Amino acid sequence: MPEKTVTIGSRSGLHARPAKIFVQAAARQGVPVRISAGERPPVPATSMLGVLALGAVQGTQVTLQADGPGAEEALTALAELLARDLDAEEPADA
Amino acid sequence: MPDLAPLPLDPRAIRLDAMAASRDDAIRQCGQALLDVGAIEEPYIATMIEREQVLSTYVGEGVAIPHGTSAAKHAVHHDALSVLRFPAGVDWDGEPVTLCVGIAARGDGHVRLLSELAQILMDPERAKALREASGPGEVLRLLGSAGPSTREETSA
Repeated sequence: MPEKTVTIGSRSGLHARPAKIFVQAAARQGVPVRISAGERPPVPATSMLGVLALGAVQGTQVTLQADGPGAEEALTALAELLARDLDAEEPADA
Repeated sequence: MPDLAPLPLDPRAIRLDAMAASRDDAIRQCGQALLDVGAIEEPYIATMIEREQVLSTYVGEGVAIPHGTSAAKHAVHHDALSVLRFPAGVDWDGEPVTLCVGIAARGDGHVRLLSELAQILMDPERAKALREASGPGEVLRLLGSAGPSTREETSA
């Protein structure tokens, strides 16, 4: 299964606004994406609880997985999002 | 992952039969419970509402986890949770919320708290037990048992 590992770039980690932005972006992909950190089993990237449960702080490595048509594009887009410091960006939806 | 410490939940910050007129009222009550146990200064409560206006803390399954903004961290004395259950439900921007977990955390403490809490809520049995708990003692047991020995993953 295609996967991509990326380091969390957001200062506050993958929670609150960065987590919300990520979950919403994952939901817009045409293909189911899963995310994992450390040894624990992957969770759906569209699950806010699942993403929060990762406990990913800035610098944590997470792995994204997706399968099927469009998987590579989805992984690339989401990995790029996670690598950015989303806390430093103006809320687009505030 | 670091070792998991028990969640900082004071039994006095648990209300199982709360009622709220609105989302903001529910958040205020979660904040008041944190204030009552000496975890925060009062200004933190306004930032909990402010945070909610910018970004919903609804996480699914009828659960919301209101917390203040990072700018208000100086108003936090110690990490703490409050657990308020709203049996009649609260309209959370269109989502019915029956369980609110208020969070006060200094520094990056909230990431760990959220992670532990999310892991408990993701376990369907523990989440159900939490929604149906008959007393504060049961809530404490459910949230306080987040130690490594209870960490076996359900391969959902």
